[in-house]
Amino acid sequence: MKTIKALIIDLLIVLYNVTVIDRVIIPLCNQSNDISEYSANIFFIHFLIAAAVTAAMYFVPSASPGKRWEKLYSLNYGTPWYVLPYSYIGIITIILTLITGFVVSQVSFKEFFSQDGIEGAQRIFMALFTPNFNIFYKVITAAIETIYMALIATFFAIPVAFLLSFFAARNLMKSSAATALYVFIRTMLNVSRSIEPLVWAIIFSVWVGIGPFAGMLALMIHSVASLTKLYSEQIEDIDEGPVEAMKAVGASNILVVWYGIVPQLINPFLSYTIYRWDINVRMATIIGMVGGGGIGNMLMQYQGLAKWHEVGMVILVIAVVVWVMDFASAKLRSALSN
Amino acid sequence: MNILEIENLVKTYPNGVSALKGISFKVKKGEFLVIIGLSGSGKSTLLRCINRLHDPTSGKILFDNQDITNASNAQLRHIRKNIGMIFQHFNLIPGKSVLDNVLSGTLGNMNIVNGLLGIYAKDVVEDAMQKIAIVGLTGKEHQRADKLSGGQQQRVAIARTLMQKPQILLADEPVASLDPATSHSVMQYLEKINKELGVTVICNLHFLSLVRQYASAVVALKGGELVYEGLPNEIDENWFKKIYGDDAVEVTID
Repeated sequence: MKTIKALIIDLLIVLYNVTVIDRVIIPLCNQSNDISEYSANIFFIHFLIAAAVTAAMYFVPSASPGKRWEKLYSLNYGTPWYVLPYSYIGIITIILTLITGFVVSQVSFKEFFSQDGIEGAQRIFMALFTPNFNIFYKVITAAIETIYMALIATFFAIPVAFLLSFFAARNLMKSSAATALYVFIRTMLNVSRSIEPLVWAIIFSVWVGIGPFAGMLALMIHSVASLTKLYSEQIEDIDEGPVEAMKAVGASNILVVWYGIVPQLINPFLSYTIYRWDINVRMATIIGMVGGGGIGNMLMQYQGLAKWHEVGMVILVIAVVVWVMDFASAKLRSALSN
Repeated sequence: MNILEIENLVKTYPNGVSALKGISFKVKKGEFLVIIGLSGSGKSTLLRCINRLHDPTSGKILFDNQDITNASNAQLRHIRKNIGMIFQHFNLIPGKSVLDNVLSGTLGNMNIVNGLLGIYAKDVVEDAMQKIAIVGLTGKEHQRADKLSGGQQQRVAIARTLMQKPQILLADEPVASLDPATSHSVMQYLEKINKELGVTVICNLHFLSLVRQYASAVVALKGGELVYEGLPNEIDENWFKKIYGDDAVEVTID
Protein backbone atom coordinates (compact mmCIF):
# COMPACT_ATOMS: atom_id res chain seq x y z
CA MET A 1 0.00 0.00 0.00
CA LYS A 2 2.73 2.42 1.01
CA THR A 3 4.73 1.51 -2.07
CA ILE A 4 1.75 2.29 -4.31
CA LYS A 5 1.28 5.64 -2.58
CA ALA A 6 4.99 6.38 -2.98
CA LEU A 7 4.82 5.53 -6.69
CA ILE A 8 1.80 7.81 -7.19
CA ILE A 9 3.60 10.67 -5.45
CA ASP A 10 6.69 10.10 -7.62
CA LEU A 11 4.59 9.94 -10.77
CA LEU A 12 2.84 13.26 -9.95
CA ILE A 13 6.15 15.00 -9.25
CA VAL A 14 7.80 13.70 -12.41
CA LEU A 15 4.72 14.42 -14.52
CA TYR A 16 4.71 18.01 -13.23
CA ASN A 17 8.38 18.43 -14.10
CA VAL A 18 8.01 16.86 -17.55
CA THR A 19 5.05 19.13 -18.32
CA VAL A 20 6.88 22.25 -17.14
CA ILE A 21 10.01 21.39 -19.12
CA ASP A 22 8.08 20.72 -22.32
CA ARG A 23 5.62 23.62 -22.11
CA VAL A 24 7.77 26.35 -20.56
CA ILE A 25 11.48 25.62 -20.49
CA ILE A 26 11.91 24.35 -24.05
CA PRO A 27 9.91 27.25 -25.65
CA LEU A 28 11.93 29.64 -23.48
CA CYS A 29 15.23 28.22 -24.81
CA ASN A 30 13.93 28.50 -28.39
CA GLN A 31 12.91 32.14 -27.77
CA SER A 32 9.49 31.34 -29.13
CA ASN A 33 6.40 32.90 -27.63
CA ASP A 34 3.77 30.98 -29.52
CA ILE A 35 3.04 28.14 -27.17
CA SER A 36 0.86 25.65 -28.97
CA GLU A 37 -2.35 24.62 -27.27
CA TYR A 38 -2.41 21.91 -24.69
CA SER A 39 -4.30 18.77 -25.63
CA ALA A 40 -5.11 15.25 -24.55
CA ASN A 41 -2.46 13.88 -26.92
CA ILE A 42 0.27 16.00 -25.42
CA PHE A 43 -0.82 14.99 -21.94
CA PHE A 44 -0.65 11.33 -22.99
CA ILE A 45 2.92 11.72 -24.22
CA HIS A 46 3.90 13.55 -21.01
CA PHE A 47 2.31 10.80 -19.00
CA LEU A 48 4.23 8.07 -20.82
CA ILE A 49 7.55 9.84 -20.33
CA ALA A 50 6.76 10.45 -16.64
CA ALA A 51 5.76 6.82 -16.12
CA ALA A 52 9.01 5.64 -17.71
CA VAL A 53 11.11 7.99 -15.55
CA THR A 54 9.22 6.97 -12.41
CA ALA A 55 9.78 3.31 -13.19
CA ALA A 56 13.49 3.96 -13.68
CA MET A 57 13.67 5.92 -10.41
CA TYR A 58 12.17 2.99 -8.59
CA PHE A 59 15.36 0.99 -9.09
CA VAL A 60 17.83 3.73 -8.18
CA PRO A 61 18.58 3.69 -4.46
CA SER A 62 17.26 6.74 -2.53
CA ALA A 63 15.92 8.37 -5.68
CA SER A 64 12.24 8.39 -4.82
CA PRO A 65 10.76 11.38 -2.95
CA GLY A 66 7.55 9.35 -2.60
CA LYS A 67 9.32 6.63 -0.63
CA ARG A 68 10.92 9.28 1.55
CA TRP A 69 7.48 10.82 2.16
CA GLU A 70 6.00 7.44 3.09
CA LYS A 71 9.03 6.79 5.34
CA LEU A 72 10.03 3.66 3.42
CA TYR A 73 13.72 4.53 3.58
CA SER A 74 15.55 3.80 6.78
CA LEU A 75 17.43 7.03 7.25
CA ASN A 76 20.77 7.37 8.91
CA TYR A 77 20.64 10.71 10.65
CA GLY A 78 23.81 12.54 9.83
CA THR A 79 23.77 11.52 6.17
CA PRO A 80 24.29 14.82 4.37
CA TRP A 81 21.30 15.79 2.22
CA TYR A 82 23.41 16.37 -0.90
CA VAL A 83 24.35 12.71 -1.29
CA LEU A 84 20.69 11.66 -1.45
CA PRO A 85 19.30 11.69 -5.01
CA TYR A 86 15.75 12.62 -3.97
CA SER A 87 17.05 15.96 -2.64
CA TYR A 88 18.06 16.86 -6.23
CA ILE A 89 14.62 15.99 -7.53
CA GLY A 90 13.17 18.38 -4.94
CA ILE A 91 15.61 21.16 -5.86
CA ILE A 92 14.99 20.74 -9.59
CA THR A 93 11.23 20.92 -8.98
CA ILE A 94 11.58 24.15 -7.01
CA ILE A 95 13.85 25.80 -9.62
CA LEU A 96 11.57 24.81 -12.49
CA THR A 97 8.57 26.18 -10.58
CA LEU A 98 10.26 29.53 -9.97
CA ILE A 99 11.22 29.84 -13.67
CA THR A 100 7.64 29.02 -14.67
CA GLY A 101 6.39 31.64 -12.23
CA PHE A 102 8.56 34.32 -13.86
CA VAL A 103 7.43 33.32 -17.34
CA VAL A 104 3.74 33.15 -16.45
CA SER A 105 3.61 36.50 -14.62
CA GLN A 106 5.54 38.06 -17.50
CA VAL A 107 8.17 39.65 -15.29
CA SER A 108 9.95 42.21 -17.42
CA PHE A 109 12.60 44.52 -16.03
CA LYS A 110 12.80 46.23 -19.39
CA GLU A 111 9.25 47.51 -19.12
CA PHE A 112 9.50 48.35 -15.44
CA PHE A 113 12.34 50.78 -16.12
CA SER A 114 11.23 52.06 -19.53
CA GLN A 115 11.22 55.84 -20.05
CA ASP A 116 7.57 55.99 -21.14
CA GLY A 117 6.36 53.90 -18.27
CA ILE A 118 8.14 55.90 -15.61
CA GLU A 119 6.82 59.18 -17.02
CA GLY A 120 3.26 57.84 -16.95
CA ALA A 121 3.66 56.68 -13.39
CA GLN A 122 5.06 60.08 -12.41
CA ARG A 123 2.04 61.83 -13.89
CA ILE A 124 -0.36 59.65 -11.89
CA PHE A 125 1.63 59.92 -8.67
CA MET A 126 1.75 63.71 -8.98
CA ALA A 127 -2.01 63.79 -9.43
CA LEU A 128 -2.54 61.45 -6.49
CA PHE A 129 -0.46 63.69 -4.25
CA THR A 130 -2.45 66.76 -5.29
CA PRO A 131 -5.95 65.53 -4.49
CA ASN A 132 -8.96 67.53 -5.54
CA PHE A 133 -10.44 68.88 -2.31
CA ASN A 134 -13.51 70.27 -4.11
CA ILE A 135 -15.10 66.84 -3.98
CA PHE A 136 -14.19 66.35 -0.31
CA TYR A 137 -17.78 66.22 1.00
CA LYS A 138 -18.89 63.94 -1.78
CA VAL A 139 -16.08 61.49 -0.96
CA ILE A 140 -16.76 61.69 2.78
CA THR A 141 -20.42 60.89 2.15
CA ALA A 142 -19.42 57.81 0.15
CA ALA A 143 -16.97 56.78 2.88
CA ILE A 144 -19.69 57.07 5.50
CA GLU A 145 -21.92 54.94 3.29
CA THR A 146 -19.18 52.29 3.24
CA ILE A 147 -18.64 52.41 7.02
CA TYR A 148 -22.37 52.03 7.67
CA MET A 149 -22.64 49.27 5.11
CA ALA A 150 -19.90 47.38 6.96
CA LEU A 151 -21.55 48.13 10.29
CA ILE A 152 -24.95 46.78 9.23
CA ALA A 153 -23.37 43.71 7.63
CA THR A 154 -21.56 43.01 10.90
CA PHE A 155 -24.66 43.78 12.97
CA PHE A 156 -26.89 41.35 11.09
CA ALA A 157 -24.18 38.71 11.11
CA ILE A 158 -23.85 38.76 14.91
CA PRO A 159 -27.11 37.02 15.98
CA VAL A 160 -26.90 34.45 13.18
CA ALA A 161 -23.28 33.65 13.96
CA PHE A 162 -24.01 33.61 17.69
CA LEU A 163 -26.72 30.97 17.31
CA LEU A 164 -24.81 28.89 14.75
CA SER A 165 -21.61 28.93 16.79
CA PHE A 166 -23.13 26.79 19.55
CA PHE A 167 -24.03 24.13 16.99
CA ALA A 168 -20.57 24.40 15.42
CA ALA A 169 -18.74 23.80 18.71
CA ARG A 170 -17.38 20.28 19.04
CA ASN A 171 -17.59 20.17 22.84
CA LEU A 172 -21.33 20.88 22.88
CA MET A 173 -22.29 18.55 20.02
CA LYS A 174 -21.52 15.11 21.36
CA SER A 175 -24.49 12.84 20.58
CA SER A 176 -24.64 11.25 17.13
CA ALA A 177 -27.58 13.38 15.93
CA ALA A 178 -25.76 16.48 17.15
CA THR A 179 -22.60 15.38 15.37
CA ALA A 180 -24.47 15.17 12.06
CA LEU A 181 -25.76 18.72 12.53
CA TYR A 182 -22.26 19.86 13.54
CA VAL A 183 -20.72 18.38 10.39
CA PHE A 184 -23.46 19.90 8.20
CA ILE A 185 -23.05 23.39 9.65
CA ARG A 186 -19.26 23.23 9.54
CA THR A 187 -19.37 22.14 5.88
CA MET A 188 -21.78 24.94 4.93
CA LEU A 189 -19.58 27.46 6.69
CA ASN A 190 -16.43 26.22 4.99
CA VAL A 191 -18.11 26.41 1.60
CA SER A 192 -19.43 29.92 2.11
CA ARG A 193 -16.11 31.06 3.56
CA SER A 194 -14.13 29.71 0.64
CA ILE A 195 -16.21 31.81 -1.77
CA GLU A 196 -14.60 35.25 -1.73
CA PRO A 197 -16.81 38.20 -0.70
CA LEU A 198 -15.97 39.69 -4.07
CA VAL A 199 -17.72 36.77 -5.76
CA TRP A 200 -20.68 37.06 -3.39
CA ALA A 201 -20.90 40.74 -4.30
CA ILE A 202 -21.09 39.89 -7.99
CA ILE A 203 -23.83 37.33 -7.30
CA PHE A 204 -25.84 39.75 -5.16
CA SER A 205 -25.39 42.70 -7.51
CA VAL A 206 -27.18 40.59 -10.12
CA TRP A 207 -29.76 39.44 -7.57
CA VAL A 208 -30.73 42.73 -5.86
CA GLY A 209 -29.12 45.20 -8.25
CA ILE A 210 -25.91 47.19 -8.03
CA GLY A 211 -25.58 49.25 -4.87
CA PRO A 212 -24.80 49.21 -1.16
CA PHE A 213 -27.42 46.54 -0.44
CA ALA A 214 -25.62 43.98 -2.62
CA GLY A 215 -22.34 44.81 -0.95
CA MET A 216 -23.93 44.57 2.48
CA LEU A 217 -25.34 41.11 1.72
CA ALA A 218 -21.98 39.88 0.42
CA LEU A 219 -20.20 41.10 3.53
CA MET A 220 -22.87 39.63 5.77
CA ILE A 221 -22.58 36.13 4.29
CA HIS A 222 -18.85 36.21 4.69
CA SER A 223 -19.04 37.68 8.19
CA VAL A 224 -21.51 35.02 9.37
CA ALA A 225 -19.15 32.29 8.20
CA SER A 226 -16.00 33.71 9.72
CA LEU A 227 -17.61 34.95 12.95
CA THR A 228 -19.25 31.56 13.51
CA LYS A 229 -15.88 29.90 13.14
CA LEU A 230 -14.18 32.30 15.57
CA TYR A 231 -17.07 32.18 18.05
CA SER A 232 -17.28 28.39 18.02
CA GLU A 233 -13.53 28.05 18.56
CA GLN A 234 -13.95 30.28 21.59
CA ILE A 235 -16.76 28.03 22.84
CA GLU A 236 -14.54 24.99 22.40
CA ASP A 237 -11.95 26.73 24.56
CA ILE A 238 -14.13 27.53 27.58
CA ASP A 239 -13.48 26.50 31.15
CA GLU A 240 -15.87 23.63 31.97
CA GLY A 241 -15.84 24.59 35.68
CA PRO A 242 -18.70 27.12 35.72
CA VAL A 243 -20.75 24.74 33.56
CA GLU A 244 -20.29 22.03 36.17
CA ALA A 245 -21.17 24.47 38.94
CA MET A 246 -24.40 25.52 37.22
CA LYS A 247 -25.38 21.90 36.62
CA ALA A 248 -24.71 21.19 40.27
CA VAL A 249 -27.15 23.89 41.45
CA GLY A 250 -29.85 22.15 39.40
CA ALA A 251 -30.26 24.83 36.72
CA SER A 252 -32.05 23.87 33.49
CA ASN A 253 -29.94 23.35 30.37
CA ILE A 254 -30.66 26.77 28.90
CA LEU A 255 -29.66 28.47 32.15
CA VAL A 256 -26.54 26.31 32.38
CA VAL A 257 -25.49 27.65 28.97
CA TRP A 258 -26.53 31.22 29.84
CA TYR A 259 -24.64 31.38 33.13
CA GLY A 260 -21.96 28.74 32.69
CA ILE A 261 -20.87 29.47 29.12
CA VAL A 262 -22.10 32.86 27.87
CA PRO A 263 -20.32 35.08 30.46
CA GLN A 264 -17.02 33.50 29.42
CA LEU A 265 -17.72 34.42 25.82
CA ILE A 266 -18.88 38.03 25.94
CA ASN A 267 -15.49 39.74 25.88
CA PRO A 268 -13.85 37.53 23.26
CA PHE A 269 -17.00 37.71 21.12
CA LEU A 270 -17.09 41.52 21.31
CA SER A 271 -13.42 41.63 20.48
CA TYR A 272 -13.84 39.42 17.40
CA THR A 273 -16.89 41.39 16.31
CA ILE A 274 -15.11 44.73 16.44
CA TYR A 275 -12.21 43.23 14.53
CA ARG A 276 -14.69 41.91 11.96
CA TRP A 277 -16.22 45.36 11.52
CA ASP A 278 -12.75 46.72 10.95
CA ILE A 279 -12.10 44.06 8.28
CA ASN A 280 -15.55 44.65 6.77
CA VAL A 281 -14.82 48.35 6.22
CA ARG A 282 -11.74 47.41 4.18
CA MET A 283 -13.62 44.71 2.31
CA ALA A 284 -16.55 47.03 1.66
CA THR A 285 -14.16 49.32 -0.16
CA ILE A 286 -13.01 46.52 -2.46
CA ILE A 287 -16.54 45.23 -2.91
CA GLY A 288 -17.67 48.71 -3.92
CA MET A 289 -15.44 48.36 -6.97
CA VAL A 290 -17.55 45.55 -8.38
CA GLY A 291 -20.83 47.35 -7.81
CA GLY A 292 -21.24 47.26 -4.07
CA GLY A 293 -21.70 51.02 -3.77
CA GLY A 294 -19.91 53.37 -1.39
CA ILE A 295 -16.40 54.72 -1.71
CA GLY A 296 -15.09 51.74 -3.69
CA ASN A 297 -17.65 52.41 -6.39
CA MET A 298 -16.59 56.06 -6.51
CA LEU A 299 -12.94 55.04 -6.84
CA MET A 300 -13.78 52.86 -9.85
CA GLN A 301 -15.77 55.61 -11.53
CA TYR A 302 -13.04 58.24 -11.23
CA GLN A 303 -10.42 55.73 -12.27
CA GLY A 304 -12.46 54.83 -15.37
CA LEU A 305 -12.64 58.50 -16.30
CA ALA A 306 -8.88 58.89 -15.62
CA LYS A 307 -9.62 61.73 -13.18
CA TRP A 308 -6.47 61.21 -11.15
CA HIS A 309 -6.83 64.21 -8.83
CA GLU A 310 -10.23 62.88 -7.76
CA VAL A 311 -8.82 59.35 -7.43
CA GLY A 312 -6.14 60.85 -5.19
CA MET A 313 -8.82 62.37 -2.97
CA VAL A 314 -10.68 59.04 -2.70
CA ILE A 315 -7.50 57.13 -1.87
CA LEU A 316 -6.58 59.70 0.78
CA VAL A 317 -9.97 59.30 2.48
CA ILE A 318 -9.78 55.48 2.29
CA ALA A 319 -6.34 55.55 3.89
CA VAL A 320 -7.52 57.78 6.73
CA VAL A 321 -10.67 55.70 7.34
CA VAL A 322 -8.73 52.43 7.38
CA TRP A 323 -6.12 53.89 9.70
CA VAL A 324 -8.72 55.27 12.13
CA MET A 325 -10.70 52.01 12.16
CA ASP A 326 -7.56 50.00 12.69
CA PHE A 327 -6.46 52.23 15.55
CA ALA A 328 -9.87 52.36 17.23
CA SER A 329 -10.46 48.64 16.95
CA ALA A 330 -7.04 47.84 18.40
CA LYS A 331 -7.71 50.17 21.35
CA LEU A 332 -11.17 48.74 21.98
CA ARG A 333 -9.94 45.18 21.77
CA SER A 334 -7.08 45.71 24.18
CA ALA A 335 -9.52 47.33 26.63
CA LEU A 336 -11.77 44.26 26.35
CA SER A 337 -9.03 41.74 26.98
CA ASN A 338 -8.65 42.91 30.61
CA MET B 1 -30.07 8.13 60.24
CA ASN B 2 -28.23 7.76 56.96
CA ILE B 3 -28.64 10.60 54.51
CA LEU B 4 -26.59 8.91 51.82
CA GLU B 5 -25.92 5.27 51.02
CA ILE B 6 -23.56 4.14 48.32
CA GLU B 7 -23.88 0.53 47.25
CA ASN B 8 -21.32 -1.24 45.10
CA LEU B 9 -20.71 1.82 42.95
CA VAL B 10 -18.76 1.22 39.73
CA LYS B 11 -17.64 3.85 37.27
CA THR B 12 -15.82 2.95 34.08
CA TYR B 13 -15.09 5.82 31.70
CA PRO B 14 -15.75 5.40 27.97
CA ASN B 15 -11.97 5.29 27.37
CA GLY B 16 -11.80 2.14 29.51
CA VAL B 17 -10.36 3.68 32.68
CA SER B 18 -12.08 2.14 35.66
CA ALA B 19 -12.23 4.87 38.28
CA LEU B 20 -14.42 3.19 40.87
CA LYS B 21 -14.45 -0.57 41.37
CA GLY B 22 -17.43 -1.33 43.59
CA ILE B 23 -17.54 1.13 46.47
CA SER B 24 -19.98 0.93 49.37
CA PHE B 25 -20.34 3.19 52.40
CA LYS B 26 -22.93 5.11 54.37
CA VAL B 27 -23.02 8.72 55.44
CA LYS B 28 -24.89 9.74 58.59
CA LYS B 29 -26.85 12.94 58.74
CA GLY B 30 -24.77 15.82 60.10
CA GLU B 31 -21.49 14.05 59.50
CA PHE B 32 -18.29 15.74 58.25
CA LEU B 33 -17.01 12.94 56.07
CA VAL B 34 -13.61 13.32 54.45
CA ILE B 35 -12.50 11.20 51.51
CA ILE B 36 -8.74 10.74 51.24
CA GLY B 37 -6.51 8.99 48.76
CA LEU B 38 -3.85 9.69 46.18
CA SER B 39 -4.53 11.72 43.06
CA GLY B 40 -6.28 9.44 40.60
CA SER B 41 -7.70 7.18 43.31
CA GLY B 42 -11.26 8.08 42.28
CA LYS B 43 -12.17 10.72 44.88
CA SER B 44 -13.40 13.34 42.41
CA THR B 45 -15.26 10.73 40.37
CA LEU B 46 -16.99 9.50 43.51
CA LEU B 47 -18.19 13.00 44.46
CA ARG B 48 -19.38 13.66 40.92
CA CYS B 49 -21.32 10.41 40.91
CA ILE B 50 -23.19 11.45 44.05
CA ASN B 51 -24.83 14.43 42.31
CA ARG B 52 -24.67 12.61 38.99
CA LEU B 53 -22.42 15.10 37.20
CA HIS B 54 -20.98 11.75 36.13
CA ASP B 55 -23.29 8.81 35.55
CA PRO B 56 -22.21 5.69 37.43
CA THR B 57 -21.76 2.53 35.36
CA SER B 58 -23.47 0.34 37.94
CA GLY B 59 -24.36 0.31 41.63
CA LYS B 60 -26.80 2.30 43.66
CA ILE B 61 -26.91 5.74 45.26
CA LEU B 62 -29.59 6.32 47.90
CA PHE B 63 -30.09 9.95 48.88
CA ASP B 64 -32.51 10.39 51.76
CA ASN B 65 -33.67 6.77 51.19
CA GLN B 66 -34.51 7.56 47.59
CA ASP B 67 -32.71 5.78 44.76
CA ILE B 68 -31.31 8.51 42.51
CA THR B 69 -29.20 6.26 40.31
CA ASN B 70 -31.68 6.28 37.47
CA ALA B 71 -33.42 9.60 38.12
CA SER B 72 -34.77 11.35 35.03
CA ASN B 73 -33.43 14.77 34.05
CA ALA B 74 -36.30 16.60 35.76
CA GLN B 75 -35.93 14.55 38.95
CA LEU B 76 -32.19 15.01 38.81
CA ARG B 77 -32.48 18.79 38.78
CA HIS B 78 -34.73 18.57 41.82
CA ILE B 79 -32.24 16.32 43.62
CA ARG B 80 -29.27 18.53 42.73
CA LYS B 81 -30.99 21.48 44.40
CA ASN B 82 -30.55 19.60 47.68
CA ILE B 83 -26.90 18.78 47.07
CA GLY B 84 -24.52 21.73 47.11
CA MET B 85 -21.06 21.52 45.58
CA ILE B 86 -17.85 23.50 45.77
CA PHE B 87 -14.76 22.94 43.63
CA GLN B 88 -11.00 23.16 43.70
CA HIS B 89 -11.00 25.99 41.16
CA PHE B 90 -14.09 27.66 42.67
CA ASN B 91 -15.91 27.65 39.29
CA LEU B 92 -17.43 31.08 39.75
CA ILE B 93 -19.05 32.83 36.81
CA PRO B 94 -16.34 35.09 35.39
CA GLY B 95 -16.95 38.83 35.16
CA LYS B 96 -19.94 38.79 37.51
CA SER B 97 -20.26 40.40 40.93
CA VAL B 98 -20.14 38.52 44.21
CA LEU B 99 -23.89 39.05 44.61
CA ASP B 100 -24.70 37.76 41.11
CA ASN B 101 -22.58 34.70 41.75
CA VAL B 102 -24.29 33.98 45.07
CA LEU B 103 -27.71 34.51 43.49
CA SER B 104 -26.85 31.97 40.77
CA GLY B 105 -27.19 29.35 43.51
CA THR B 106 -30.98 29.71 43.23
CA LEU B 107 -31.12 29.10 39.47
CA GLY B 108 -32.49 25.62 40.13
CA ASN B 109 -35.72 27.24 41.35
CA MET B 110 -36.04 29.81 38.57
CA ASN B 111 -38.11 29.68 35.44
CA ILE B 112 -36.27 30.29 32.20
CA VAL B 113 -37.42 33.86 31.52
CA ASN B 114 -36.55 35.21 34.95
CA GLY B 115 -33.37 33.19 34.88
CA LEU B 116 -32.25 34.58 31.52
CA LEU B 117 -33.07 38.15 32.56
CA GLY B 118 -31.59 37.71 36.03
CA ILE B 119 -34.75 38.88 37.83
CA TYR B 120 -34.62 37.75 41.48
CA ALA B 121 -37.31 38.27 44.09
CA LYS B 122 -36.56 40.75 46.85
CA ASP B 123 -36.43 38.15 49.60
CA VAL B 124 -34.03 36.05 47.54
CA VAL B 125 -31.67 39.01 47.26
CA GLU B 126 -31.93 39.60 51.02
CA ASP B 127 -31.22 35.93 51.58
CA ALA B 128 -28.14 36.23 49.36
CA MET B 129 -26.88 39.23 51.39
CA GLN B 130 -27.31 37.15 54.51
CA LYS B 131 -25.32 34.24 53.04
CA ILE B 132 -22.57 36.66 52.03
CA ALA B 133 -22.51 37.82 55.65
CA ILE B 134 -22.18 34.20 56.84
CA VAL B 135 -18.95 33.77 54.83
CA GLY B 136 -17.70 37.15 56.03
CA LEU B 137 -17.74 39.01 52.72
CA THR B 138 -20.16 41.82 53.62
CA GLY B 139 -19.12 44.98 51.80
CA LYS B 140 -17.81 43.09 48.79
CA GLU B 141 -21.22 42.29 47.26
CA HIS B 142 -20.74 44.46 44.20
CA GLN B 143 -17.12 43.66 43.48
CA ARG B 144 -16.17 41.35 40.65
CA ALA B 145 -15.89 37.87 42.11
CA ASP B 146 -13.04 36.77 39.85
CA LYS B 147 -10.85 39.64 41.10
CA LEU B 148 -10.98 38.44 44.72
CA SER B 149 -8.27 36.32 46.37
CA GLY B 150 -8.50 32.54 46.15
CA GLY B 151 -9.82 32.10 49.67
CA GLN B 152 -12.45 34.79 49.17
CA GLN B 153 -13.55 33.20 45.88
CA GLN B 154 -14.00 29.88 47.64
CA ARG B 155 -16.13 31.63 50.28
CA VAL B 156 -18.28 33.12 47.50
CA ALA B 157 -18.70 29.57 46.18
CA ILE B 158 -19.75 28.44 49.67
CA ALA B 159 -22.30 31.27 49.89
CA ARG B 160 -23.60 30.30 46.44
CA THR B 161 -24.16 26.73 47.50
CA LEU B 162 -25.82 27.85 50.75
CA MET B 163 -28.49 29.55 48.61
CA GLN B 164 -29.61 26.03 47.68
CA LYS B 165 -30.26 25.26 51.37
CA PRO B 166 -28.53 21.96 50.70
CA GLN B 167 -28.82 18.85 52.85
CA ILE B 168 -25.44 17.67 51.68
CA LEU B 169 -22.45 19.77 50.66
CA LEU B 170 -19.92 18.12 48.35
CA ALA B 171 -16.49 19.73 48.47
CA ASP B 172 -14.02 18.61 45.81
CA GLU B 173 -10.51 19.50 47.01
CA PRO B 174 -11.78 22.84 48.34
CA VAL B 175 -8.38 23.99 49.61
CA ALA B 176 -6.02 22.36 47.10
CA SER B 177 -5.31 25.63 45.29
CA LEU B 178 -5.09 27.77 48.43
CA ASP B 179 -2.19 28.62 50.74
CA PRO B 180 -2.10 27.05 54.23
CA ALA B 181 -3.51 30.01 56.19
CA THR B 182 -6.39 30.47 53.76
CA SER B 183 -6.99 26.72 53.77
CA HIS B 184 -7.81 26.78 57.46
CA SER B 185 -10.12 29.74 57.04
CA VAL B 186 -12.09 27.94 54.31
CA MET B 187 -12.18 24.72 56.34
CA GLN B 188 -13.48 26.66 59.34
CA TYR B 189 -16.35 28.02 57.25
CA LEU B 190 -17.17 24.48 56.16
CA GLU B 191 -17.06 23.39 59.81
CA LYS B 192 -19.35 26.26 60.78
CA ILE B 193 -21.85 25.26 58.10
CA ASN B 194 -21.66 21.67 59.24
CA LYS B 195 -22.08 22.42 62.96
CA GLU B 196 -24.37 25.46 62.94
CA LEU B 197 -26.55 24.80 59.91
CA GLY B 198 -26.48 21.02 60.24
CA VAL B 199 -25.42 20.45 56.63
CA THR B 200 -23.78 17.08 55.99
CA VAL B 201 -20.37 17.70 54.42
CA ILE B 202 -18.53 15.26 52.14
CA CYS B 203 -15.11 16.59 51.36
CA ASN B 204 -12.06 15.41 49.38
CA LEU B 205 -8.81 16.36 51.06
CA HIS B 206 -5.10 15.75 50.61
CA PHE B 207 -3.69 16.79 53.97
CA LEU B 208 -4.11 14.37 56.88
CA SER B 209 -3.54 17.18 59.39
CA LEU B 210 -6.67 18.88 58.06
CA VAL B 211 -8.49 15.56 58.15
CA ARG B 212 -7.68 15.00 61.83
CA GLN B 213 -8.75 18.51 62.69
CA TYR B 214 -12.05 18.77 60.83
CA ALA B 215 -13.38 15.31 59.92
CA SER B 216 -15.85 13.32 61.97
CA ALA B 217 -15.47 10.27 59.72
CA VAL B 218 -13.03 9.21 57.02
CA VAL B 219 -13.08 6.90 54.04
CA ALA B 220 -9.97 6.22 52.01
CA LEU B 221 -9.80 5.22 48.37
CA LYS B 222 -6.93 3.49 46.63
CA GLY B 223 -7.04 2.62 42.93
CA GLY B 224 -10.84 2.95 42.88
CA GLU B 225 -11.39 0.71 45.91
CA LEU B 226 -12.39 1.58 49.44
CA VAL B 227 -9.49 0.65 51.73
CA TYR B 228 -10.42 2.39 54.98
CA GLU B 229 -13.55 3.49 56.74
CA GLY B 230 -13.46 4.84 60.27
CA LEU B 231 -12.50 7.69 62.53
CA PRO B 232 -9.81 10.22 61.63
CA ASN B 233 -7.59 9.64 64.67
CA GLU B 234 -7.46 5.91 64.01
CA ILE B 235 -5.32 6.44 60.90
CA ASP B 236 -1.91 5.46 62.22
CA GLU B 237 1.41 4.89 60.50
CA ASN B 238 0.33 1.47 59.20
CA TRP B 239 -2.90 2.69 57.73
CA PHE B 240 -1.13 5.68 56.24
CA LYS B 241 1.26 3.38 54.37
CA LYS B 242 -1.63 1.20 53.23
CA ILE B 243 -3.51 4.18 51.82
CA TYR B 244 -0.68 6.19 50.34
CA GLY B 245 1.91 3.48 49.61
CA ASP B 246 5.14 2.55 51.36
CA ASP B 247 7.17 5.41 49.97
CA ALA B 248 4.79 8.11 51.13
CA VAL B 249 5.80 10.60 53.81
CA GLU B 250 3.20 12.61 55.64
CA VAL B 251 3.40 16.36 55.21
CA THR B 252 1.48 18.69 57.46
CA ILE B 253 -0.24 21.96 56.90
CA ASP B 254 -0.33 24.43 59.77
